[in-house]
Amino acid sequence: MKNLKSIFIYTFLSLAAIVSIFPFLWMLVSITNKSVDVTQGRLIPGTHLIENMKTLFATVDIVPALMNSAIIAIITTILTLLLASLAGYGFEIHRSKGKDIVFNILLLSMMIPFAAIMVPLYRMFGSISDTAPFLGIDSLGAVILPTATTAFFIFFFRQNTKMFPKDLVEAGRIDGLSEIGVFFRIYMPTMKTTYAAAAIISFMNSWNNYLWPLVILQSPEKRTIPLLISNLGSSYAPDYGVIMSAIVIATLPTALVFFLMQKHFVAGMMGSVKG
Amino acid sequence: MKKFYLMLVLLVGMAVLAACSSGDEEASGGSSEGSSSVDTITAWAWDPAFNIAALEKAKEAYSGDGDFEVNIIENAQDDIIQKLNTGLSSGTTKGMPNIVLIEDYRAQSFLQAYPDAFHPLTDVINSNDFADYKIATTSFDGEQYGLPFDSGVAGLYVRTDYLEEAGYTPEDLTNITWDEYIEIGKKVKEATGKNMLTLDPNDLGQIRMMIQTNGSWYVDEDGSTPNLAGNESLEKAFETYKKMMDADIGKIVSDWSQFVGAFNSGDVASVPTGNWITPSIKQAADQSGKWAVVPMPRLDMEGAVNASNLGGSSWYILNVDGKEQAADFMLNTFGSNVDLYQTLVKDIGALGTYSAAAEGDAYAVEDEFFGGQQLLSDLSSWTDEIPGVNYGLHTYAIEDILVTGMQDYLNGTELKTVLENVQGQAEAQLK
Amino acid sequence: MSQQSTKKGELDLPVSLRYKETRREKNGVFFRKKVGWLFVIISVIAITIFNFYPMVQAFLLSFQSGMGGNLEYVGFNNWQRLFGDPTFIAALTNTSIYLLIQVPLMIVLALFFSVLLNDPKLKFRGFFRIAIFLPCVTSLVAYSVIFKYLFGIDGIINQFLLNFGFISQTINFLADPFWAKVVIILAITWRWTGYNMIFYLAALQNVDKSIYEAARIDGANAFQQFFQITVPMLKPIILFTSITSTIGTLQIFDEIVNITNGGPGNATISISQYIYNLSFEYTPDFGYASTVSYVIVILVVILSIIQFRVAGEKK
Repeated sequence: MKNLKSIFIYTFLSLAAIVSIFPFLWMLVSITNKSVDVTQGRLIPGTHLIENMKTLFATVDIVPALMNSAIIAIITTILTLLLASLAGYGFEIHRSKGKDIVFNILLLSMMIPFAAIMVPLYRMFGSISDTAPFLGIDSLGAVILPTATTAFFIFFFRQNTKMFPKDLVEAGRIDGLSEIGVFFRIYMPTMKTTYAAAAIISFMNSWNNYLWPLVILQSPEKRTIPLLISNLGSSYAPDYGVIMSAIVIATLPTALVFFLMQKHFVAGMMGSVKG
Repeated sequence: MKKFYLMLVLLVGMAVLAACSSGDEEASGGSSEGSSSVDTITAWAWDPAFNIAALEKAKEAYSGDGDFEVNIIENAQDDIIQKLNTGLSSGTTKGMPNIVLIEDYRAQSFLQAYPDAFHPLTDVINSNDFADYKIATTSFDGEQYGLPFDSGVAGLYVRTDYLEEAGYTPEDLTNITWDEYIEIGKKVKEATGKNMLTLDPNDLGQIRMMIQTNGSWYVDEDGSTPNLAGNESLEKAFETYKKMMDADIGKIVSDWSQFVGAFNSGDVASVPTGNWITPSIKQAADQSGKWAVVPMPRLDMEGAVNASNLGGSSWYILNVDGKEQAADFMLNTFGSNVDLYQTLVKDIGALGTYSAAAEGDAYAVEDEFFGGQQLLSDLSSWTDEIPGVNYGLHTYAIEDILVTGMQDYLNGTELKTVLENVQGQAEAQLK
Repeated sequence: MSQQSTKKGELDLPVSLRYKETRREKNGVFFRKKVGWLFVIISVIAITIFNFYPMVQAFLLSFQSGMGGNLEYVGFNNWQRLFGDPTFIAALTNTSIYLLIQVPLMIVLALFFSVLLNDPKLKFRGFFRIAIFLPCVTSLVAYSVIFKYLFGIDGIINQFLLNFGFISQTINFLADPFWAKVVIILAITWRWTGYNMIFYLAALQNVDKSIYEAARIDGANAFQQFFQITVPMLKPIILFTSITSTIGTLQIFDEIVNITNGGPGNATISISQYIYNLSFEYTPDFGYASTVSYVIVILVVILSIIQFRVAGEKK
């Protein structure tokens, strides 16, 4: 019975894993193939890897784009984690009628498609371009600001805070911690896994963000990775082998972040903590 | 936990430092852009092997007396459309380029949607110097705005080896009608098992090319009234499309990479499309010598000609600081420089629409890939015959409606009913 | 909530400290109420500036119409126009179908995966986790190419179905209005299940293990444990993922543009794709595009209220 169950589980998971990984593997195979083979969906590795990489590094500045994406994603993630967890904590632990209303209104902000608010947002950043160029059009600041505080993560932290044992807050207060101290010394360490999950998602969102960086950034040297890949596909005769190479390079950081962060998803935080 | 905090602090520090340093760069760049006399003009285009390369050549060839740098920036075409629309509609000229390349099908949309955003070139260039068919779409309200650039002249790219197997030569496909083309297609499929062409039911470029052979378009000459129901050319084109489907000579593809994949792998015997496909055709080096290009088939109607167009684009100058300099740059390069066009043809294979340029030697070169055909000179002579139409405002909006109509038609709905439906929908949607 | 725990804390205090505490406590409660706002204030201000201000502008835009920069007020014309616009109606219908089928399917799958992948005794746990997560970082370009090949006329799926006798004739999945929708639903589910799994995996770590042990001792089997412990414990997160997935699916864009581009005809077009077309693909009409955007807002508000109610959280 036990065996049967685990056979079923492993078969099921293996099938799911194959289905999930297949396109990713094809991507890896494609970077070794010529454009002609990629367009025909060839599944066998070829010998064009070095060629593709050479062309890629010769035609586009992929390293600066990776740097830009990394800077933006790291700052955005840190700001998001800090601000959203503060707010999510505040809304749940210091719950009040007024705050509940404010919270519900905040949720509204994630319901509108970004395309609808893009033009007014662009105008706003355009108007401060002269007084504060580091926040104006074509600045990394302008990319980060509107994405660093989102109701999405506040909502996420608040929902997780509902599972946070409130006794710990009280215990902290009794120990003489200030309100902010309780947050930093008790809440943050206890909610490590929640932070890890938020970090994965936030990093990924920021890394893949396309529309806003596209309209707000102008100089080629400030381009992020998705913009660079979009350019690669724009010519009348796109080289799919090279495009795939860029895509693979662009995908690795998010996969890596996930891999590092998921290690925190182990054992319960309370009760019987197992190694 | 301590390690975690330490890492956090380090990361923040690094990130802030990086952001600040790039912020400083921005500040200095921004202030120089803000002043009224510009020392850098910016140009946007999309294809590094084609129009970006053409800009580079123009920059080298520029001989005017303007003292400025030309900053060429590559953006994907869709990206340019999004950036322009967002920037222009927000009313901020910040971050907008001086020169931008716009596809001809979209030009009227931009000119009419943002009337003061573009700088007229009526007094700068002579519109008679360019292929006739380009003028209607690049001008608006009596002013010439666009500087016509690449020709979207269409050709029928054929596999001579497959044709031979079926007993045909490229001459047999020269100056034929679409109906004749279908008949040949059936024979070719019989003999070789290969489809005659690719068809993408979601992309009606095929229909566009067909109706332009008869000087017709989706809209009336005013550029905005839908002209679908009762449009005989469109009816004929729809019928022809269905015939191709029924004759089973088309390989169905669903996107660009499959389209390219189909002819690269030798799955089709011909590719009717714009001449900008040449580099993609040549990508399959093993097929060298097996291709030829003949004029586009025409609709089987009175007045239709064997010349058409697909795509093509023109340069526009935005009404921002530096517009005079940008205009001077364009006049002294794409606007008058015959040698530049020779270079474009020789080095990039880019076919312009500046009429005087077609006389040069570079156009007469024989292309081995196409069995020694003087491809560019052929294409260039067909360019002159393309019937001029005003593409107007709604090419893509109407096409999305037509795609649905085409589905209905292929599934058996009466053609008249289909076209009346799409006419009604278009009128409702494009108020 | 905080009031209650305050009292509880008070009771726990040593008697000797009680007297002193009551005075301080009064100020403390007052201060604590204020300090609560300090936690949320930065986010509230930032979201107001970067979201609500542009949202109000977009709302005003929804009463205007015109090409590009030439907008003028047209009252409720745009809203009326919605009802007579076949493309909008098609987009709304398609999007609703995606929503109804895809969101529940994905939430259940994600929950299921996360429970399996949370088992500390599971071998290759890290591998399975990253495998299921990979689709949401796999580039759209790559996966749309793959999906198109898999579901092509001579694709693997057709060959498989033919060989095993499930079908007698190949299905042109992407050219058939019904099957194209199925492919889109599969694609969205494929891409976002791993994403939602992350939320559950993280939340499961916050569930007290001893509850499970107690249940096991009481003889509860795996299914009972799942429905009687896991689901109720994760309710806040299930609510979170179902609301955010509802929003995500109502705004679905990338998958459709890359796999079917709305076709055949407009059998798979989504509301967001239509908004994009109205803004950038056609001669831009940002006014009407705003109106269509607000339809999404209205839908999400209604659905969210329902979901909050169902989850039993007081509004």
